Amino acid sequence: MTRIVWPLVELASKLLEPDEREAVLGDLLEAKESAGQALLDIFGLVLRRQALLWKNPQPWFAGFSVALPSTYLLMHVSVSVTATYERLFHHRFCASWPTGHEGFVLLFCHFFLLMAWSWAGGYVVGSASRRTLWVSMALSALACAFCLVTFHFEALSRFSPFLFVLPAILGVRHGFRNAHLSLAGASLLAVTVTVLMIFAWTHQALWVLNWALVLPAWYLVAAARRSRQEGPTGPWWPFDRAPLSSAVFARKNH
Amino acid sequence: MLGEFEYLLITAAATLADNAYGAAIREEIEATTHRRCSMGALYTTIDRLETKGLLKTWMGDSTPQRGGRAKRMVRVTSKGVQAAKEFYDAVMRVSRGASWAGEQTGNLS
Repeated sequence: MTRIVWPLVELASKLLEPDEREAVLGDLLEAKESAGQALLDIFGLVLRRQALLWKNPQPWFAGFSVALPSTYLLMHVSVSVTATYERLFHHRFCASWPTGHEGFVLLFCHFFLLMAWSWAGGYVVGSASRRTLWVSMALSALACAFCLVTFHFEALSRFSPFLFVLPAILGVRHGFRNAHLSLAGASLLAVTVTVLMIFAWTHQALWVLNWALVLPAWYLVAAARRSRQEGPTGPWWPFDRAPLSSAVFARKNH
Repeated sequence: MLGEFEYLLITAAATLADNAYGAAIREEIEATTHRRCSMGALYTTIDRLETKGLLKTWMGDSTPQRGGRAKRMVRVTSKGVQAAKEFYDAVMRVSRGASWAGEQTGNLS
């Protein structure tokens, strides 16, 4: 029994920070806990840790204010870009497709916006919810499932709603690693995105709800500004001084 | 003011002195209270007390009986000692005259 359950204990312990995992597994071995009890202990600790994380605003912000609505909107933009591409490059058309009047300029504009929105949203999610990233990912998957069940995109590739996924994953990866983003770079991105959105808006080629997608880009500007004020290791969280990685373990290294 | 479990943990760590780490503190608490102490309660409380500046922790040596895994060593800070003393004094004061307190608290001046 122990031989079967102990690998599960080791696996479950991967949900803990590396240093804490080391200490806890050592304690369980030293106390000669049964594998079943050890598994319960690990899950108990993981649950307490997760519960503590949700006392902070960051996971709520990342999951429910960014990941969930952005995924829903970005899926629609992905379909819109694919439909326009099919119409302009392959001369295919379907009455149910959106963006019937857009030309090449608006296509490239939307494509750039899609990449920028996805990356910026991913960056915010990755940096603001490192240890609750799985919840943000689950919420994104939920939004994807909702769109796929609710909407049917005729004659388009089944991958067409997912154009945003790759840049979003890159953004999450960069945010998760707290990749440095200069204030100038963040500002350039936010201004470019805003200008292109105004351009698309004036050509009746932007859904009003898509304005929400500009927020992650400006969030990055606020966070980069804060980061510059607090030094290069400062938190990517512009609203208070609490570090994003809240675990005490993560902050110290004796 | 400390909570009951926080006080137990600080007291156990202070008693164990240089040998205070997760498993030893847990064993001490369980032996004293005859109640099970979960890993979750132990480590989240250690973190909370460290955040308050009442404990200091660091990764220590590993031993063969731990499968070569390091210990999380714990030391009570002077602030922690003060907080534990205040808790102890408060409990003793409030217990004066209680039927279950016996003579122990009656001797306190």
